[in-house]
Amino acid sequence: MIEARGLTKRYGGLTAIADVSFKIAKGEVVGFLGPNGAGKTTTMRILTGYLPPSAGSAAVGGFDLAKEGRSAKRVTGYLPESPPLYPEMLVHEYLAYVAALHDVPRRERRDKVARALTACGLETVEGRVVRTLSKGFRQRVGLAQAIVHDPAVLILDEPTAGLDPIQISEIRELIRRLAAEEGRTVILSTHILAEVEAICQRVLLIAYGHLRLDARLDDLRAQGSLEDVFLREVEAAAVPAGKAALVEAEL
Amino acid sequence: MNRLLAIAGRELRSMFVTPDAYVLIGVYMLFAGFIFFASLGIFLVQLQQIQALGMMQLLDQWNLQDIVVGQSFSTFALFMCFLVPLLSMRGFAAERANGSIELLLTSPASSSEIVLGKYLAIAALLGVVGLLTGTFVVLLFLYGDPELWQTLAGLQTLFLYSLALAAICCFISTLTRSQIVAGFVGIAAALLLLILPVAADSSQSDVLKGVLRWLGTSTHFDPGLKGEIRSEDLAYFGIVIAVFLSLARAAVDSLRWR
Repeated sequence: MIEARGLTKRYGGLTAIADVSFKIAKGEVVGFLGPNGAGKTTTMRILTGYLPPSAGSAAVGGFDLAKEGRSAKRVTGYLPESPPLYPEMLVHEYLAYVAALHDVPRRERRDKVARALTACGLETVEGRVVRTLSKGFRQRVGLAQAIVHDPAVLILDEPTAGLDPIQISEIRELIRRLAAEEGRTVILSTHILAEVEAICQRVLLIAYGHLRLDARLDDLRAQGSLEDVFLREVEAAAVPAGKAALVEAEL
Repeated sequence: MNRLLAIAGRELRSMFVTPDAYVLIGVYMLFAGFIFFASLGIFLVQLQQIQALGMMQLLDQWNLQDIVVGQSFSTFALFMCFLVPLLSMRGFAAERANGSIELLLTSPASSSEIVLGKYLAIAALLGVVGLLTGTFVVLLFLYGDPELWQTLAGLQTLFLYSLALAAICCFISTLTRSQIVAGFVGIAAALLLLILPVAADSSQSDVLKGVLRWLGTSTHFDPGLKGEIRSEDLAYFGIVIAVFLSLARAAVDSLRWR
């Protein structure tokens, strides 16, 4: 469902990600784990067609992003790090707008909005103005806009960042349900290990722009503490990247 | 097309649920009304003076159309330099500031659809402004005898002029996250284009003079406001709109490439 081949992104002299490749099959729920600034958001922005890669290519739902970007975007639901809301709109109005933007035909829009509202537990606030919602509810509206056009692929950038523990467990539960019920392919980024353990079957570890690890959680658990494995990989990645930075500084 | 209309519809709805548009258009109407009735008052006083002095030959040149409609339309054109940038400064600047630009750029909507959708919403709003401005003239028709076609030509020119300014401001708002910057630069650009013909007069070279005069907006709305629709002016406004909307589209494209 998602394929990245040698993705590289440079911002001026800074290399955000280098040669990142992976394949995600239909129905997989994959955690994209890494410290802050590792390149998670950059990778996700490339997969959603927001940023073009400097090198490499990517395909979502079988559509190459460079050639059939519009078709790829149609099958993708995306929740950016901060939900892309319009504060002055009503919740149901906003969802109908997002549905229209994603080519949902007019006669299906009402149904799809209702389904997204139910799925995200937003029935009680559908007539509220987005500005007046609490952070937890805004995050849910963000999730609802990602699924309102019934996408096969969900890309969620730090979906629980900044929420309180109760909201976090609610959102996690919601993501699990969205993935399980519809057989969606989900890729979500986080820097919290527990989050990956709670939701995902597979983990991609990215550090300093390099993909360090691509493994099933079950296999990793067999190797011992997950935390140890991740810390080891992140530290191992730090050394070459640190050297590269030094070389760049000298130049 | 559906996506374009969805974008335009959302934009318009937002304008009418926030007080911004009401306040701006309200203030515009207040000033415009003041100017209109003040020029009507001046006209009446002057008319009485002319009659009292018995200079009847002056009455031929002294008509309601030029003095009241023409003069106030010129002032309205000046108001547009403030109204249009303030109405359109939200455009892309707000989308970029609150992150919703990411929703637009990751949706199947093309850059052209995004730009045209936003522009259509502003154009509709300016249509409302044009209709409201027309109400003054309707009052004049109730009590006097102005020239219908000249007046309509003036209104049409005012509308076209505001559309051209909107295209410029639409482009400017793609360049910044700050609405204030977008608004101020928009006002500055509008005023600059307005006074270019004045600069032209003081220039030595004939070529430069011609170019500056052609670029200036007032060169092209002055005849229209007085009731004379010229195809070269229509072409000018069409070119300005096309050029700046294309620039806005290129700017939105470049947002994807950062």
